[in-house]
Amino acid sequence: MKVITQLGITAALALSATAASAHHSFAMFDLGKDVTVDAVIKEVQFTNPHVWLQILIKDDKGTETEWSIESGAPGMMLRNGWKPSTLKSGDKVTLTLHPLRDGRPGGSLVKVVVPDGRTLGPGAPAAN
Amino acid sequence: MRAACIAALAACSLLLPVAHAATPPAKKADIFGVWLGIASNSNNFDPQWANKPYTPAPEFTDWGAEQSRQHGRLGVELPTPGACQPINPAAFVGGFFPTQILQGHNQIVLLNEWVAVPRRIYMDGRGHPPAEDWLPSWEGHSVGHWEGDTLVVDTISTNGRSRALNGYLAGNVNATPAGLKAPRLPASDQMHLVERFRVVGNGKILEVTKQITDPKTYKNTFSNTVYMERRPDVDVQEYYCDDNERTKDEGH
Repeated sequence: MKVITQLGITAALALSATAASAHHSFAMFDLGKDVTVDAVIKEVQFTNPHVWLQILIKDDKGTETEWSIESGAPGMMLRNGWKPSTLKSGDKVTLTLHPLRDGRPGGSLVKVVVPDGRTLGPGAPAAN
Repeated sequence: MRAACIAALAACSLLLPVAHAATPPAKKADIFGVWLGIASNSNNFDPQWANKPYTPAPEFTDWGAEQSRQHGRLGVELPTPGACQPINPAAFVGGFFPTQILQGHNQIVLLNEWVAVPRRIYMDGRGHPPAEDWLPSWEGHSVGHWEGDTLVVDTISTNGRSRALNGYLAGNVNATPAGLKAPRLPASDQMHLVERFRVVGNGKILEVTKQITDPKTYKNTFSNTVYMERRPDVDVQEYYCDDNERTKDEGH
């Protein structure tokens, strides 16, 4: 796994690949931390109220862990360069996220470099 | 001959303006269409369209201060009471999601992509019902009238159950650490909202000033202003927010 920003990610990977809990607010994400990873898209749920990206991340030993990445509302994302087909299963991406505070493998999307080279955000313009 | 003249006059009368027709209604500004909050949807915009914060600063009553504290726990220590609940009319226009304004026969209708229920603004000259006949609702009872090119909308009879005017703490994907520290601004069922909609910026910008009086929650009256861009290219999407249960309670 290539971790460009190493913040809390080791602890996160030590836990199971349980999907992010349904009952939470964005306070569950550490908004002060940006973690950037190389990942493979497993599944895109382009759904209301929020879009979810299921991504696979390999650690240094080659062990693969599934992370659940929460993004914005489909309408917001459509207005900011996304289409339902922008990311597909198997796509390799570089993705930046705010990690879950509790260390589980998940986070909220900050930005992602998609296969056509654009950097897209979670529904608002991507941060520079 | 006389019949021919009468026929000719009749034909011409179909083509010429009728001078004695009833005076048409005063020209109203074209506030209709799809509008998108500028500051929420761009990193780079003309600073004259930056939203103006609440002025003067809201001053809580004792009851309001306690409500603010309780709202600050929602989505942090406590679950949100229902992320899919409609938002307060004072927070309806100007944010991330587009607002569509439609002209009906005796009303103007506001739709917001995010909010499941419309706002109906009665334009037929009626007033509000007497207090004993209020039927508190998420968006309240709204009546409107034109003052020149400005649509003035007066709203009462909200149910006081909405999330705070500035949302749940950390309530969206663009939440920031600084935003987490801002006190929540709740509103009660005694809120009186007066909005003024005006088209500026060569017809491309909608300015909405919102004056809030809520004696149960605040000691003072305060106002803010939001700016939206006319966006005929934007299709308002469906947003049935219970679709994906994973996100059900997070206060988006």
